[in-house]
Amino acid sequence: MSAADTELNWEKLKLAGMLTNDYFKYLKLCKKRRKTLSSLDIKRRKKIKLAILGSANTDFIPEPLEFSLDSHGIECEILNTPFNTYAYQMLAPDSLVGNFKPDVVLVVNAPFSQPEWPDIRLSGAELESMLQRTAEYWLNLCNTLHANTGCEIIFDNFIQLPWKPNGNLAPKLDFDLNNYISHLNFKIAQAAPSFLHIHDVAWMAAHHGVSKWFDLKYWHHAKLPVSLNYLIYYIKNAAAIISSLYGGMKKVLVLDLDNTLWGGVIGDDGLDGIEVGQGTPAGEAFLSFQKYIRQLKDRGILLAVCSKNDEVNAKLPFEQHPEMYLKLDDFVCFIANWEPKPNNLLIMASKLNLGIDSFVFVDDSPAERDLMRTQLSDVVTIELNNDPASYPALIDEHSPFELTSLSNEDMERTNQYKENFNRESLLTTVSNYDDYLVSLEQHATILPFEEGRLDRITQLINKTNQFNLTTSRKNRTEVEAIMQDDKYFSAYVQLSDKFGNHGIISVIFGTWTDDALVIDGWLMSCRTLKRGVEKMTCNYLVEQVKINSRKHVIGTYIPTGRNTMVENLYSDLGFELLETSKTCVTKWALDIDLYTIAEHPITIKD
Amino acid sequence: MGSMQHDYVLKKLNKTFCEVFDNDDIVLTDNITAADIEEWDSLANVRLLVQIEMDFNINFSSTEIADLQNVGELVDLVISRI
Repeated sequence: MSAADTELNWEKLKLAGMLTNDYFKYLKLCKKRRKTLSSLDIKRRKKIKLAILGSANTDFIPEPLEFSLDSHGIECEILNTPFNTYAYQMLAPDSLVGNFKPDVVLVVNAPFSQPEWPDIRLSGAELESMLQRTAEYWLNLCNTLHANTGCEIIFDNFIQLPWKPNGNLAPKLDFDLNNYISHLNFKIAQAAPSFLHIHDVAWMAAHHGVSKWFDLKYWHHAKLPVSLNYLIYYIKNAAAIISSLYGGMKKVLVLDLDNTLWGGVIGDDGLDGIEVGQGTPAGEAFLSFQKYIRQLKDRGILLAVCSKNDEVNAKLPFEQHPEMYLKLDDFVCFIANWEPKPNNLLIMASKLNLGIDSFVFVDDSPAERDLMRTQLSDVVTIELNNDPASYPALIDEHSPFELTSLSNEDMERTNQYKENFNRESLLTTVSNYDDYLVSLEQHATILPFEEGRLDRITQLINKTNQFNLTTSRKNRTEVEAIMQDDKYFSAYVQLSDKFGNHGIISVIFGTWTDDALVIDGWLMSCRTLKRGVEKMTCNYLVEQVKINSRKHVIGTYIPTGRNTMVENLYSDLGFELLETSKTCVTKWALDIDLYTIAEHPITIKD
Repeated sequence: MGSMQHDYVLKKLNKTFCEVFDNDDIVLTDNITAADIEEWDSLANVRLLVQIEMDFNINFSSTEIADLQNVGELVDLVISRI
């Protein structure tokens, strides 16, 4: 196997690991990694010694944790210790852990692990002193371990118990065990020294549901601190903390715009058509997502925009939409163009002087995510579903912005970087975009207008603004007339790729003259730009002109302020400029005998 | 014993065992116990029970999982739940 093949295999395994939280699937990936370890080219930036100990069974942890840490570029030598020997391991300099001299220790806890518990007969003062003693019990263990070995400690806080003997009165009762656990977590976190990192398992259990997270049956049977169905969440979260200890925290969140920050496509739907803000469920979901992003920014994460749009359109909502929560000021860089997104990220990285491995990419389009993963595997590309309400949780799940401390500098970071960034040469290119297009396995059909398709065709004709040469709107009856009358030419394009079917994405209509086909309208949905569809379509036009014994294709470009992206389309396809009017309308002609069939990555189906 | 349902469950369990123990050579019979399969430690036992619960969409109780003596009893337990 060549080096490229083996590297690809690890990238594939790593991606599969990122995309699943299923314990058994994850375990299979671990096995695959173990069996092919010698041939995998895993990029590692750090090697550490990791000890695992706890008041619960830790045997399930090493294998997936090793895989997860490898995904962060951290190689680890793991020492797992016997169940419930934690006090000895932490206190004795010559214990297994003491002798191992770990860099990091993971302390795995279950809610039942307290040295003493409150009782209904205790006074308030007695309860308070018990709470203090218990917090000190854990803190002293950690302090001693750190004094003996110098290690960083990741400490599971305590989840709520899956039962409620005091009913709904519990929140008012100091002796209630769940109340006690909450107070204890708070006390330990408040007093934790800088080497002690709280693993917020209590939040994860609450998030997923305590009784699902912690299965009493398997606690009694095998002292499992986390049910196997949720173990991978635990593992990934612990790995994210360890990674951030060694500089793994990501710094930049790159966001797409259309259907990522707002609902709809600004270039087509316009300022009034996009959904963000109160009033619709989707609008509110996008608004909450923006609020979540703003909180990331406030604690030092840099925000950037990378959108396939004209810049003027892309900025419009930030400048003029009253309900946009994020403002242009919140971003350190804003790139809206039609270049492949990996190119744009590389430009951002060089402008901000940051490694490409500090970038996180959020985009609702599966094709854009796939391109980013293929071209820039060091960028963390978050897997989204199509529900904006779930976007914050999906980013959280990968914990890319895990941090172990927070400084004033963190909060000032955006300003600092904004000054350094300016948007100039967009010259850097990823060389193999063509290869990527081939890998998309695109298939198209191109056919004259037909019954059953007219509604979607009419909709596209009236909705499309950006890739639209003449912006000639037609109602359903007019479209039907084009279909029925022989003097007109018509075609629609359907496209599918390995991610699914895009449906009808492009429409062309025109009029036959004695020696030419005159294109009256040509438009395409933004979803499928730069895919080769226009080249394929041009080949088709030339072929139709030949079949109908004409000689030329005549095209017109009418500028509208929103369709600048196609002002050079005819020139790019080999048309000759005939004339330019006072209003900048350009007219073009193509002699089909001089036309060279354009190459494109699409397979045409009949 | 020997019913069609018994054979069906045994066959399905055999597949689960092969997967959990990562060993395609396992051939289950009713008399097999944890001592007969090298990889069958306490860790594998929990994996096995959780995977069986998922495969058959059932939930064992704490007492049931403690009492199991051999594969035959496991098959009977699964049958009593599906």
